[in-house]
Amino acid sequence: MSTAETSPPAARRGGLRGSGPMRREDLLDTLGFADVAADVAGADAIMAPGALRGAARGRDLDSLTRTLFLRIYPVIAAVVLLTQAGIAWINHADQLRLHADRANLLASLTASALARPGWERAPEIFGPQLQALARDPAFRYAVLRDAAGALVGSAGERPQGRDWNRVQVSAELAGPGLAAGSLTVVLSAEELRDNAERQALLALGTSLVLMLAFVATLQRTVRRHVVAPLQRLLVAMRAVEHKRWTAVDLGGAYRPSNEIDAISQAFNSMVEGLRSGDEAKRLLQALETAHAELAAANRQVVESIGYARRIQASVLPERGALAASGVDLAVLYEPLHLVGGDYYWLEEIDGLCVIVVADCTGHGVPGAFLTLIVATALDRLLHERSLRSPAAILAGLDAMVRAQLRQDGRGAESDDGLDCGVCVFDPARRSLLFAGAGLSLTTIRAGAVEQVRGGRRGLGYPRTGREAPPESDTPVPVEPGTTFYLMTDGVTDQMGGAPGVRPKLLGRQGVAERLLARAAEGLDAQLAGLERDLAAYRGGELRRDDMTLVAFRLP
Amino acid sequence: MTRIQIAATERSPEVDFDFETGRLSLRGESYPEDAAAFYGPLLQALRGHLAEGGQAPLAFEVALAYFNSSSAKALMNLFMPLEDAAAAGRPVTIRWLYAEGDDTIAEAGADFAADFEHAAFELAMEAQV
Repeated sequence: MSTAETSPPAARRGGLRGSGPMRREDLLDTLGFADVAADVAGADAIMAPGALRGAARGRDLDSLTRTLFLRIYPVIAAVVLLTQAGIAWINHADQLRLHADRANLLASLTASALARPGWERAPEIFGPQLQALARDPAFRYAVLRDAAGALVGSAGERPQGRDWNRVQVSAELAGPGLAAGSLTVVLSAEELRDNAERQALLALGTSLVLMLAFVATLQRTVRRHVVAPLQRLLVAMRAVEHKRWTAVDLGGAYRPSNEIDAISQAFNSMVEGLRSGDEAKRLLQALETAHAELAAANRQVVESIGYARRIQASVLPERGALAASGVDLAVLYEPLHLVGGDYYWLEEIDGLCVIVVADCTGHGVPGAFLTLIVATALDRLLHERSLRSPAAILAGLDAMVRAQLRQDGRGAESDDGLDCGVCVFDPARRSLLFAGAGLSLTTIRAGAVEQVRGGRRGLGYPRTGREAPPESDTPVPVEPGTTFYLMTDGVTDQMGGAPGVRPKLLGRQGVAERLLARAAEGLDAQLAGLERDLAAYRGGELRRDDMTLVAFRLP
Repeated sequence: MTRIQIAATERSPEVDFDFETGRLSLRGESYPEDAAAFYGPLLQALRGHLAEGGQAPLAFEVALAYFNSSSAKALMNLFMPLEDAAAAGRPVTIRWLYAEGDDTIAEAGADFAADFEHAAFELAMEAQV
């Protein structure tokens, strides 16, 4: 209502009681219908181009009110006017008839009173009679004529021309022995006309009052039941257009039979649907972003680990390092994740062939760190301390790893260590010594699998006070046709088996069987075949650990 | 803390350490990325419970289909205080379960059994589910 209330009266162009033609806008403004447009137009600043824009400006609402007014009001006004006019017309006609009857009665009474013999010659008779007629306030004119039509007497003024405002009646003077004649009486109908005019004005006034009442009622009703709910709906729609998920407040006054309430309800459901859809889209987008970030991070990590793999590969020996001594050797080295905790070393030193396989705790990057410690330690043991006994090498590794990881003090951070197997082959004496810590030497000869078990304890780890005594070197017979295998537990710890059965570890036995089945093959072919067998055994299961297997045949 | 229950994941076993009833169990596979992080709290809880000095029997059931070397080390760390408690007179039973035909796990159990002098170590085959 703000516009109407704050407008000074002078601003009222046209007006309800004005005589000039009224413009629709003026009327609507005056009646306060324009505020819908004004309120909503005030929100234009935040409007973005969109489908709802026109509607949201409120023009359609404004137009709805106008349309209702302009379509309905003329009909009502016409009906009222026509009805009132009809009533006025009938009234007027009735009055006119009564008036005529009165005139007739008057004329015939007077005529009867005059009907005496010789009336035409007795002005003293008809004179007062005619004068008496003039007492009637509506009387205008009376004329008495004889049979020939000659004027006998008259009263009042003879009206000129035709006039709808008078009633003219005639009465015959007739009777036995009387001269014929006629009395014509003219009464004024102006009063009747004035009445009719008053009635017409009343009708007009009524219709104006009706219009006012109608406009006021229409405005109030439309505002309350149509414009306000629609405006709430439009405001919500506009908010939704900007992805602000706003529901229309039905204010607890929800009536299912009300179309706008039903629409608002449907709109709210739609908004809820859109909101959840948008939420899902947003989440998906967030997920995609997170995924992209993860992919980038993963790529970076993989690149970094790829780099680490090159470093780790560079600390591994040449696979043909022992070829000069006539040792036939093949290596299966498969870290689980590019880099790993498995490590092996091959070196001919002082005419001795040293073969070391180590399995450090953990895999991936942490495992790889440990292999570097082991590699460094082994290098010092072999070259600085010139150890050549497998058991001595193990003991040296144990001490050096423990020292390196500071596992001797209390509350050591690291609880890491390694399993390790060491073989030292002396080609000159054809002797092979083995010592293992948590790692065994497997031999296959003449279709038989044997195992030279190392000590159960690994190397490193903080001391527990239960350490087994140091291992001693185990001489292993070197017979022609024997193949030796040093393998980490990643090779034997393959989960898999028959499909549909709970996965089971392949185990040392399973690996040995598969190696045995390929005993006649070259070492490279054997290991390649074993790798395929292991993959087949795993089926859908993933590998659990790094795998390292060094197979060798001695000359 | 009288009971620790951890659901199994792909890489870690189901844990149910019910100190109230004296029943502890590990079941599933064990190769967590960081075994120390997984087993550390269990070891702490076990040590804490043993430090209370109760004499109620303890039964530790281990049914692992696979465990890596770090987990083996962690198991050893769990076993040691139990063996100590057994040495101090508390009835302790370790029940090592392995699947039929799973020689690797059976062997590992046998290896662990050698470490126990006072606690009862039972090696039992578990029928396939």
